[in-house]
Amino acid sequence: MNPESSFAAALASLPLLGPNRLLKLLSSHIPSEAWAVLRGEHRAHPSVEALFSPEFLGHKLRERATDAHLQVTREKCLRLGISTTFIGDAQYPAILAVDIAPPPVLFWRGDLGALTQRRVGIIGTRAATAAGRYMSSQLAHDLTKHGIAVVSGLARGIDAWAHRGAINAALDAASTSATRSINYGRPIAVVASGLDVIYPRENAKLWAEVQTNGVVLSESPPGTPPEAFRFPLRNRILAALCEVLVVVESRAAGGSMITVEEAQKRDVMVLAVPGSPRNSSSVGTNLLLQQGCAPVVDADDVLVALGLDHRRCFPNTFDSRRRPGENDQGVLDAFSNCAITLDQLMVRTRGDLVTTAVALGRLEADGWVVNNAGWWEAVGVNRG
Amino acid sequence: MVASPVLGVKGDGVFASMRSATLLGVQGRPLDVEVHVGVGLPGFTIVGQPDEACRESRDRVRAALLSSGLSWPNRRITVNLAPSGERKGGAGLDLAIAVGLLVAQELLAPECCSEFAFIAELGLDGSLRSVPGVVPLVGALSDREVIVAPQCVNEARAVAHRTAHAVSTLAELMACLQGESAWPEVFPQVRHRTTVNGDGQGATSNDGAGFADMADVRGQPAARHALEIAAAGAHHLLLIGPPGAGKSMLAHRLPGILPSLDADDALMVTMIHSAANLSIPASGLIRRPPFRAPHHSASMIAMVGGGTAAMRPGEISLASYGVLFLDELSEFAPTVLDALRQPLEEGNVRLSRAKSSVTLPARFLLVAATNPCPCGEGAPGVCICDDRIRQRYLRRFSGPLLDRFDLRVAVDRPHVDDLLADEHGEASESVANRVERARLIALERSGCLNSMLTADLLDEHAALTRSAMQLIRSHLEQGRLTGRGYHRIRRVARTIADLQGDMGSVDVQHIAAALALRIGVQPMLSGDQS
Repeated sequence: MNPESSFAAALASLPLLGPNRLLKLLSSHIPSEAWAVLRGEHRAHPSVEALFSPEFLGHKLRERATDAHLQVTREKCLRLGISTTFIGDAQYPAILAVDIAPPPVLFWRGDLGALTQRRVGIIGTRAATAAGRYMSSQLAHDLTKHGIAVVSGLARGIDAWAHRGAINAALDAASTSATRSINYGRPIAVVASGLDVIYPRENAKLWAEVQTNGVVLSESPPGTPPEAFRFPLRNRILAALCEVLVVVESRAAGGSMITVEEAQKRDVMVLAVPGSPRNSSSVGTNLLLQQGCAPVVDADDVLVALGLDHRRCFPNTFDSRRRPGENDQGVLDAFSNCAITLDQLMVRTRGDLVTTAVALGRLEADGWVVNNAGWWEAVGVNRG
Repeated sequence: MVASPVLGVKGDGVFASMRSATLLGVQGRPLDVEVHVGVGLPGFTIVGQPDEACRESRDRVRAALLSSGLSWPNRRITVNLAPSGERKGGAGLDLAIAVGLLVAQELLAPECCSEFAFIAELGLDGSLRSVPGVVPLVGALSDREVIVAPQCVNEARAVAHRTAHAVSTLAELMACLQGESAWPEVFPQVRHRTTVNGDGQGATSNDGAGFADMADVRGQPAARHALEIAAAGAHHLLLIGPPGAGKSMLAHRLPGILPSLDADDALMVTMIHSAANLSIPASGLIRRPPFRAPHHSASMIAMVGGGTAAMRPGEISLASYGVLFLDELSEFAPTVLDALRQPLEEGNVRLSRAKSSVTLPARFLLVAATNPCPCGEGAPGVCICDDRIRQRYLRRFSGPLLDRFDLRVAVDRPHVDDLLADEHGEASESVANRVERARLIALERSGCLNSMLTADLLDEHAALTRSAMQLIRSHLEQGRLTGRGYHRIRRVARTIADLQGDMGSVDVQHIAAALALRIGVQPMLSGDQS
């Protein structure tokens, strides 16, 4: 760890020194110099002099900016394998350096080189429907196979499924040695908490897989809890990293819509996946479509938005599910876009319990339908 | 113990002993009411652990004797309730005390009473009144002819091994006992009892008639089928669905498709209802399976029983051989729900208190209804609840309790077209026929209903075909079925096969249907499907 990075990590870990103030400080000083400014050992640049005067914040920061703090932060980063870069550093991602609100210091685990790929953000609600989860995972899968990095936030719901789809595609590509030369996208995750504070816990395995295959980024120093105010800040970095942002499912308000706003501020193209108007998880995305966002029904739409010609890519073989038999197809056809109960299904197919149950059992085993606490949904079925 | 009413003059006192009984749980305990009238300051004492109502009989008996034109001895009166080590409760001993006093005063010859036992409360005017638990009380006095109040003659006759007589007043009783007049003819009538004990709460009549018909249910074929399976195999049923989906409506139709009780069960149900002071049909025996639907505010004691010295049976005992319906399961106190686990497993409930312990029957078919989540909607895309909130909501039910439900069915509101359609569903009567046939098949094969098949009996009576085994195996391997669920699925599949008349092995379609009717209750979270 180079000394400047250590100073940057120590600065980012200081309380009272939020992203805005730190950005001002690091725009005028390199980290070691900034540290000296805080300690009163170096004269502050006129532009930040007022901010760090003893009357305002100076004396509080001076108390905290100790050698011990520097040492502890440095050791923590080394022990956890967390790397640090800061604005102005050679390693600092170029895409963020030109941003309107760049993170002054960036922590990462994995390979920061993933940021040099073409990048598509896939985001959405945490309370996703099965169809939304499937869509998210399939989009990410197909884009990854086309060599595009999927950017998301490792949250519950759509985010997690986007990463999952991307990782599956990466693993597929890695396992087939014949196609080794094919360049697949490496996933990028931007999280709100410190990189050692895994949130939500259930995504721990996924988190580790993203680190191994791609990179996990955070503006927060190690040990930072997932405080609510950090998520909108995280969303701005996520939006800044995307070339195209796809919203799979979203309520009318929520984290996804904040990311969309941040993307629009930066002139990042926002695409939305249309959903049933009766589905409350699609209200936000349908609203975006009404406002003029382009719709996404499969990965091709995203590739067009990126301006990528993919005619010579290998065909999509993702749907490896066994085709349903004639009777099962009848049951599958009875599904609408909404989740339904066994009762309604039996009424629609006019079948008895046993035949319907047998058909559902086969369809479920083959992955055509999903049962969620008694409600059945068909997944990945295209209806003309 | 003195075997028959005896009049004896011992020293300065006169002594008589009468036969009666008190109630503990749903059983009567015979006892002797000994009355001693001797010298001393005029007074009246009851010994032998009487409760408050019992102690107050002194004033009732005195007033009743005087109103009937009989004398009250101005001497020292001691009443002993033998055996004296047990607590006695209730006013049912009034009549025995009064008759004992008459014998001790030599107003009545002791021989007149030697063949009789007495169970009734006395009114101040000398009339006989009904008491709770006449069926078990009379049942415990099988060696005597029993005198009861006219209002409970139907109950007494349900079990009277010898004759039960009913008279309306003390004076009339004296005349009959002395042979001056014949025992009056009393026609049974249904008593209208008060609901001060909260019995009116959610309880429905047990008269046999007036059960709602399945024909009223529109659409909802899966839920109908689940009811039929629950009835045929005595499988506990959990209905999950939004408000207005008809969960309660369905549950109320379950008793109508259960077969009538056989003589032994009917007697037991009648005894329990009598002990709880609930109305008994004029015919004496409750022939139809009871249906109990306690409100979700029910306390632990209301649910499992106890509370009084007589250990009043709770809702689970009252629902014995019938249906216990818990609407809004999530609103019940968790401790009350968990108290159901032992009775569900063993078919009875053992109540232990400092002074007594009883075992009450509690072999009921549990039907519960709940909303899937706090907003009530449940369907993905319509429900507005967070995953975690949904999970917390359903976590109120302990795993072991949820596991007792062999059938867990999601019910949604019926489609408008179904509601408006003219066609009626199948009537309860024809469903009941199928249920009865399936029950007969099960009883002939294994001697018990399918829900009570033990794991080793399952292999014998519910062998799986190869393809059925494969289906179960794939569900177990994918973690969609737990080891505990495995046996329950096999039991339900056996019932489904019985209902279809398939006597042989349990085949893949039966297992598939059983699996479809046992949904995973924990909502699928975005994280747990990797």
